[in-house]
Amino acid sequence: MLTDIFANLAFGLSVAVTPTSLLFLTIGAFVGMIVGLFPGFGPAAGIAVLIPMTLGLEPTVAIIMLAGIYYGSMYGGTITSILINTPGESATVASTLDGYPLAQKGRAGPALVMQAIASFIGGTIGVVLITALAPLLADFAASFGPSEYFLIITLGLLLLTTMMGDNKFKGFISALIGFAIGTVGVDVMSGQQRYTLGSPELIGGVYFVAVAIGLFGIGELLHCIYNGLHLNPAKKLKISFKSKEFWPDRFDFIESRFTFLRGSIIGFIAGVLPGSGATLGSIIGYSVEKKIAQDPENFGRGEMRGLVAPETANNAASAGAMVPLLSLGIPGSGATAVLLGAFMMWGLQPGPLLIVNDPGFVWGLVASMYLGNMILVALSIFAIPLFVKFLDIPYRHVVPVILLLCVIGAFAIHASIVETWILFLSGLLGFAMKLYGYSPAATVLALVLGGMAEETFLQSLIISNGTLAVFVERPVSLALLIVLILVIAVPTLFALRRRLGRREA
Amino acid sequence: MKKWFSLGLFGLSSAYLAYGLQTLDIFDFSGRPGAGYFPLIIGSLMVLATAVNAVLDFRADRAVEAHPLPLDPATEATAEMMGVDAHGLDGGKRFPRDVLIVSALLFGFIFFLPILGALLAMIVLMLAYLFTFNQDELLTNVLYSLALPAFLYWLFRILLNASLPIGPLGV
Repeated sequence: MLTDIFANLAFGLSVAVTPTSLLFLTIGAFVGMIVGLFPGFGPAAGIAVLIPMTLGLEPTVAIIMLAGIYYGSMYGGTITSILINTPGESATVASTLDGYPLAQKGRAGPALVMQAIASFIGGTIGVVLITALAPLLADFAASFGPSEYFLIITLGLLLLTTMMGDNKFKGFISALIGFAIGTVGVDVMSGQQRYTLGSPELIGGVYFVAVAIGLFGIGELLHCIYNGLHLNPAKKLKISFKSKEFWPDRFDFIESRFTFLRGSIIGFIAGVLPGSGATLGSIIGYSVEKKIAQDPENFGRGEMRGLVAPETANNAASAGAMVPLLSLGIPGSGATAVLLGAFMMWGLQPGPLLIVNDPGFVWGLVASMYLGNMILVALSIFAIPLFVKFLDIPYRHVVPVILLLCVIGAFAIHASIVETWILFLSGLLGFAMKLYGYSPAATVLALVLGGMAEETFLQSLIISNGTLAVFVERPVSLALLIVLILVIAVPTLFALRRRLGRREA
Repeated sequence: MKKWFSLGLFGLSSAYLAYGLQTLDIFDFSGRPGAGYFPLIIGSLMVLATAVNAVLDFRADRAVEAHPLPLDPATEATAEMMGVDAHGLDGGKRFPRDVLIVSALLFGFIFFLPILGALLAMIVLMLAYLFTFNQDELLTNVLYSLALPAFLYWLFRILLNASLPIGPLGV
């Protein structure tokens, strides 16, 4: 097995180590760091907005660049968490807890270097685990039928709606909206047009890129404006890596040596589970570290382990989220849903056969993640003064860049003005969803997986002559169904018990 | 506004279900699920879920109106000092007017995109936006309004060879 891993990696490196791939990987990592710097503009928005820029690239190179944006944003998001107590990305919220106090104690430099090293270790351990796990999971999933696929999609969406966001019920409605948008166009089974309203431009369906750019890009932008971010003055910060105080000391490394490993493993597991992802991974990583520490009272006051734990976890989680994406074709978060959409846009068929049919793509992407982490750790340490300079740009100057990129990008893909109007409507919808507690990520995930969900559901019904028996007759289906029921029943029972307890009190 | 958004979702869900029932076949000629089968399931779930959601939001809104949420003493003290409604301070200031302006600019941009062409429409949007939100830096606004659209036009039209709308100036 070990020889297989090395052979696959060597093959991947032969794909990824080309001047073009390395150039676009570096551009992706750099852009990802900038995306991470700006609060309210997460990796899903960054990838969606920049998909049109990959027009004309080789599919593997395009995905390598988009994946670079995805994990690069995890590195960038922490810089603002540490320096100005404002997480650039939800997955770096836990990093503010000890990162900002470290900066207040005059240890911003060591905190920035340690977060870069922690991110590198978390990301690299995560990629090593992908290399080992993805083929195993793909082998196992090769025996899956339509009923198992339908249940996995449902489980993924359910976990996403129950674990992310404050309101599970609104998350459920968000997913239904995505499914509904996904039904527009020609039905693949019967060839009948659905919800096209006579428009020839809608026969091919509502293209996910316009919806994703609208929901994530325009929606988040309007939400930032609503909160007054465009009126905030620029933050003038100065930092130099030439000073001795910039570097961490030996004690920082000795103290955090086991934290690197713990955070990575916790984060990776959280990433593999659909719906939990980097945000939950970083919070669990931090909580576990605090719980097992002999001096928990130091956490929240500038403790290096309190920064290292969430940083290793969120980077390992972003790698972990690639496992179900590459081996099952099921994304577990908004950002990976947009990546999956990009796979499809480039004609790649996600699923367990992807590793068999397109080994160059899969292993090239995995190998690029090793290289990407190396580029990012170098960028994170030596280019910090440059990235800090980006914080000098007031947000009101960033707004038109995002607006133009979104509209021109949405138009450029199919030269369609209808898709540009869809972007506008999705933007307004995304803003309202964010404002009122709905989940745009669940909508995009359901839109991307809607076609597959419908197809597998109908195939399952046809296999079992119109009954639902197929979902309980096959052992893997039955197991998935039990997990699905538990995911719904357990929290409901707990909530009911809590409510009864409150009433009795 | 939240309750009206929920009500709007309920209306759209009902329209989705009704339109599907009207125009799509639930089963095909051989009795197998047809084009309308999945939309029927999704539409029914949506109508049910958005109806419950709207009722919950209306009920929550009425509860807040009847018993306003208690504020922490610090917020109340600050509000008293400033002579404003304490609920307005809770959660910080919001800028719905600016959201409306940017949405209107975006609407205008997309509307004029096929008429003016990509480059000119981008320049007009930039000027309109910057002279609304960045009035103090006239020269910067003009330079920025020319430089960014020119760069994006070069990137998409020339470097990536993407098709962009062409206006009266031929760009």
